[in-house]
Amino acid sequence: MAATFFGEVVVKAPCRAGTEEEEEEEEAGRRETPEDREVRRQLARKREVRLLRRQTKTSLEVSLLEKYPCSKFIIAIGNNAVAFLSSFVMNSGVWEEVGCAKLWNEWCRTVDTTHLSPSESFCVFYHLKSNPLVFGSCPRRNMQVTILTCRHVTDYKTSESTGSLPSPFLKALKTQNFKDTACCSLLEQPNIIHDLPAAVLSYCQVWKIPAILYLCYTEVMTLDLITVEAFKPILSSRSLKGLAKNIPQGTEILKKLMTTNEIQSNIYT
Amino acid sequence: MASRYDRAITVFSPDGHLFQVEYAQEAVKKGSTAVGIRGTNIVVLGVEKKSVAKLQDERTVRKICALDDHVCMYFCKILTIFIGLTADARVVINRARVECQSHKLTVEDPVTVEYITRFIATLKQKYTQSNGRRPFGISALIVGFDDDGIPRLYQTDPSGTYHAWKANAIGRSAKTVREFLEKNYTEDAIANDNEAIKLAIRALLEVVQSGGKNIELAIIRRNQPLKMFSAKEIELQVTEIEKEKEEAEKKKSKKNA
Repeated sequence: MAATFFGEVVVKAPCRAGTEEEEEEEEAGRRETPEDREVRRQLARKREVRLLRRQTKTSLEVSLLEKYPCSKFIIAIGNNAVAFLSSFVMNSGVWEEVGCAKLWNEWCRTVDTTHLSPSESFCVFYHLKSNPLVFGSCPRRNMQVTILTCRHVTDYKTSESTGSLPSPFLKALKTQNFKDTACCSLLEQPNIIHDLPAAVLSYCQVWKIPAILYLCYTEVMTLDLITVEAFKPILSSRSLKGLAKNIPQGTEILKKLMTTNEIQSNIYT
Repeated sequence: MASRYDRAITVFSPDGHLFQVEYAQEAVKKGSTAVGIRGTNIVVLGVEKKSVAKLQDERTVRKICALDDHVCMYFCKILTIFIGLTADARVVINRARVECQSHKLTVEDPVTVEYITRFIATLKQKYTQSNGRRPFGISALIVGFDDDGIPRLYQTDPSGTYHAWKANAIGRSAKTVREFLEKNYTEDAIANDNEAIKLAIRALLEVVQSGGKNIELAIIRRNQPLKMFSAKEIELQVTEIEKEKEEAEKKKSKKNA
């Protein structure tokens, strides 16, 4: 497909002049030198996902879930979901960092792993020191997974006009083994989940782990107070019950998080 | 479907959408929140003001602009705020200001608020119908008093439509602010000038994350010059609002007890 001078999209017509030149180019591309192979090997090594014990930076030899079996696994993806979790859930009780997942690919802009903010692109694992139910000696069979994430409202397909949607709003998607009710309406067809939340939910569905995904459709993808507060109904659900005790304090912590990211963009007034 | 019809402004999709115009409206949502209120004797414009970068000169980041200055019989002005792409806003404001002066020289009368709104809206519409150009990614709130002394508030959007409003909000989280205004805009609220100002600030505080220091506010009262509020004055209003909120909550808890 190509865009013309006037911007209309034109489907490329097949070339009638023959295809000999194209075949030659393909052959040249397929010839791979040992150099190429070495570069590719190095890139693959760089891109490995590594699980590290944060304080000592040594790698965790055993799988994290075997070392710290848990009954509730909560994963927040995206800066608004992470801000919600760190302000409302992690402010009550003492959460201890057990490890982090470090990964790299060519699109990563960050190399410094010592100063983490809620908007860093890799994953930190925490466990609740005081409450044995959250990370306890229960077998994995009783584990429940909760996933929180955000998506732009223009991704939401609906017959209504997007202007009339009560943005931001929550939608839920759960696996077959999740027997409780969601605290918001379920995601309707033809909407689909993308990326990491989809991978986690698919994994849980295949391995029959009860899991629920809460997806917040919002107009503002940067860290935003209203978007984070849209996750609040989840605090009363069974997934997070008992984990968020001090909600006013959570709001204060959230406001502090917001003020650190406030600089005026010059493009948008 | 959308991807085949959204690259060119001059192409309708089969179900009648002009996707570039709709996408331009998304660009507006990336800007700050602005609110405009039309009172009985006053018009109020408020906007969220984010902190500027350390080395940036704050004076050059003013969002509320005057379009015209009527000095004939009344000290009125037409105030406007554009939300969306900064550069587009600057270009349209300049064109509007030139039109205001041109009108005054030709017709010897200052423009009415409706005239200049219609001019801006027509300009925006032209850019939705030419090939090779994209629409302006801005919405505007235009307030002022006409010669007849009646306050006006208009809103325009990237498609080139304009409407008169009693109160409206544009930009990020505009929907939340508009819902707040729908609940709280009453005849009593706007009859008193001070209440109208407080309503604008309360509406902004619904979405502004760090309180009064991040709000820019301007008012025009009938027959009086424009007034830009200083940070101190806004803080005073915010303190009053918080006091009223506390008292209202105390009353509520007494009732429940």
